[in-house]
Amino acid sequence: MKLLDMANKYGKATYNYPFQPYVVAENFRGKPSYIYENCIGCTACGVACPSNAINVKLNEDKTKLVWEFDAARCIFCGRCDEVCPTGAVVLSQEFELAVKFDKNNLKEKGELDVEYCEVCNKPFTTKRLISYNLHRLEKAGWNKETLDKKVHYIRTCPDCKRKHKVEVITQYLKRGTK
Amino acid sequence: MKIGENLINKVKEKIAISDVYRQPEDQITITVDRNDLPEAVRILYYDLGGWLSSMVPNDERQINGNYTLYYILSMEGGKMTPDDEIVKEDKCWITVKTYIPANDPTYPSVTLKVPAAVWYEREAFDMFGLTAVGLPDPRRLMVSDDWPEGLFPLRKDSMDYRHRPNPVDHKDEPEHEFIKPEGAGVLDVPLGPLHITSDEPGHFRLYCDGDTIIDADYRLFYQHRGMEKLAENRMNYDQMGYLAERVCGICGYAHSIACIEAAEKAIGLEIPLRAQAMRVICLEIERLHSHLLNIGLACEVTGNVNAFMHIFRIREFSMELAQLVTGGRKTYGNVVVGGLRRDMTGNEIKQSLKILETIETQTNEVWDAVMDDKNQIKRWKGVGILDKQVARDFSAVGPNVRGSGFKRDSRYDHPYDFLTQLDFDIPTEDGCDVFARETVRYKELLQSVSIIRQCFEMMPGGLTVIKPQTLIKPQAFAIGNDEAPRGENIHWIMHGNAQKVYRWRCRAATYNNWPSLRYQFRGNTIADAALIVCSLDPCYSCTERVTVVDVKSNKSKILTHKDLKRYSQSLKNHPLKNL
Ligand code: SF4
Ligand code: SF4
Repeated sequence: MKLLDMANKYGKATYNYPFQPYVVAENFRGKPSYIYENCIGCTACGVACPSNAINVKLNEDKTKLVWEFDAARCIFCGRCDEVCPTGAVVLSQEFELAVKFDKNNLKEKGELDVEYCEVCNKPFTTKRLISYNLHRLEKAGWNKETLDKKVHYIRTCPDCKRKHKVEVITQYLKRGTK
Repeated sequence: MKIGENLINKVKEKIAISDVYRQPEDQITITVDRNDLPEAVRILYYDLGGWLSSMVPNDERQINGNYTLYYILSMEGGKMTPDDEIVKEDKCWITVKTYIPANDPTYPSVTLKVPAAVWYEREAFDMFGLTAVGLPDPRRLMVSDDWPEGLFPLRKDSMDYRHRPNPVDHKDEPEHEFIKPEGAGVLDVPLGPLHITSDEPGHFRLYCDGDTIIDADYRLFYQHRGMEKLAENRMNYDQMGYLAERVCGICGYAHSIACIEAAEKAIGLEIPLRAQAMRVICLEIERLHSHLLNIGLACEVTGNVNAFMHIFRIREFSMELAQLVTGGRKTYGNVVVGGLRRDMTGNEIKQSLKILETIETQTNEVWDAVMDDKNQIKRWKGVGILDKQVARDFSAVGPNVRGSGFKRDSRYDHPYDFLTQLDFDIPTEDGCDVFARETVRYKELLQSVSIIRQCFEMMPGGLTVIKPQTLIKPQAFAIGNDEAPRGENIHWIMHGNAQKVYRWRCRAATYNNWPSLRYQFRGNTIADAALIVCSLDPCYSCTERVTVVDVKSNKSKILTHKDLKRYSQSLKNHPLKNL
């Protein structure tokens, strides 16, 4: 009997979802939203994601870097949000992730143009990342001239950089022994 | 004198100890010869007041050419009587370690002397092929009945985890052997393959005489997920905490804390105060959430759906609280080595305190109403008795053991970090029945509310996470413990190379409660079977089917989930009437 009284006292505990939207807390951690414009393809999020929900890799013909997110795998930990240098992935307040018929509806994709190495012509990073770095360096007080000199270096893939360095060092050593 | 020194000296009087290792201060590992193992564990368990918390078999052939066993005992006193308890300052963990040569993987069974070791020793064979000589119950436990002979999944060289043995056709699958009581006319009641109260897999077999259960046996682990192997092979610590969380849908946070704590303790890492406080808060929120669920379910299986609904209404608040504290409706995805990922704002704390108030008043109100209901109490009282001695022998944990009058709680026996600054009680009851266990849960709810409140009030400032510079020391190991809603969770971690774990042993609370369940069934009616399992608050995923067999006619019948639940609620139309 007491329990029935209580029901009257507290009234309706449910509400008319989905017609009445559910309000989540301010700092709710929902589905990560991807802002394509900001992404520079640095792959930091892909590395940080513990559940491999984010994959960043080259497409088959190696012309684009594909950023791919699978909401079904995401555990909403927010690591991607934490590591992204440009704020391109931010946890949203969205929690309604059910999709109809097709699992692919859970996926989100973004394609970025790749940059080819000036020496070996292999794709190694994105155009956006290069311009982002140049922009940062400019902001950090590098003047145009030094930048222009270094641009070639920035546009070289790590492998070629390493080879170049080894060459320089061996040459230096040779010279030194002479 | 260092902690636990006198206990070690007492063991030394009878048994040769070759090595003593401390990491950290209150965790002592002693090495004994394998032939001395049962006696060493027995002395610590019965003579010196230890409880078997976990046992870790490990494949250390790469390190020292042997297999090793670690029997982890929580030294806190027998607690059979109030003064039978070790003083607070002397409470510690003592691990008995022994080497087993790779060419002769056998050791004398400890189970003969300490019954609590039974599941652990069965598991050691399934996973590592280490045979306990003299083990009374050598059946398979962890791996399925169709698992190939001689393949031991946790050995380092056993198999590539990407390839699994081919599944056996269902019709060729061997039958699991159940332990059967002798006697004419035992009725075999299969309960399962799905469990009645929590819809999870697990096969129970109840042996009945008429309506009374005279014995029970169960086959679990239909869902062994091989998490420990997964972590060893390819996870780093960043991912492991989140993996540990997936052990359970309810007490997952406690698992991730214990797992990360173990990793931190092994390298002596101190985390910021604010993170410590927030870890305690999240653990207590989880307790609110879980205890409300269990009290609700205990009402529901006895047909009191009204109370169930009210309790679940209150439970909703605990999820809102979790949302404020961690940003998700469960407390998940928050722990990292070195602290916590997410901080709280002052406004969130204020809102949380308000919710706590609501939870406290409304829980009291509903509990009072349930206590007024004589029929409800009648269904709970005297059902599923967990005898004191059985609880002691099998090292039961959580509300299960506290309902039998033992003041055993990880927060009380082995407090660390922020817990030492808090002021709280450990409620116990002497009834040993379902009623006692639910009362313990109710009282704990109130304690949790008070703990969370204290934490919010004392909330230290500062950061919530530190960036550890060097993370791991190969081969350093430690125990991580905490009190999950169902009891103590123990994780044991040994670091490996390259930021990876060498061995991770995760022992969920329910694992220690299962072996004694059999004794709780005896003497009760079938209608109470569902309730007894429910009051244990089992967690199948962290550990993991019911056949009823009539002892008189020797016939058996499989009860469906619906049948049993219906009978348990209405007590009408006996499902075995026409047998
Ligand atoms: S929230 Fe966590 S799991 Fe989800 S995409 Fe980001 S890093 Fe991955
Ligand atoms: S989303 Fe952010 S972290 Fe991920 S690739 Fe783009 S810029 Fe990098």
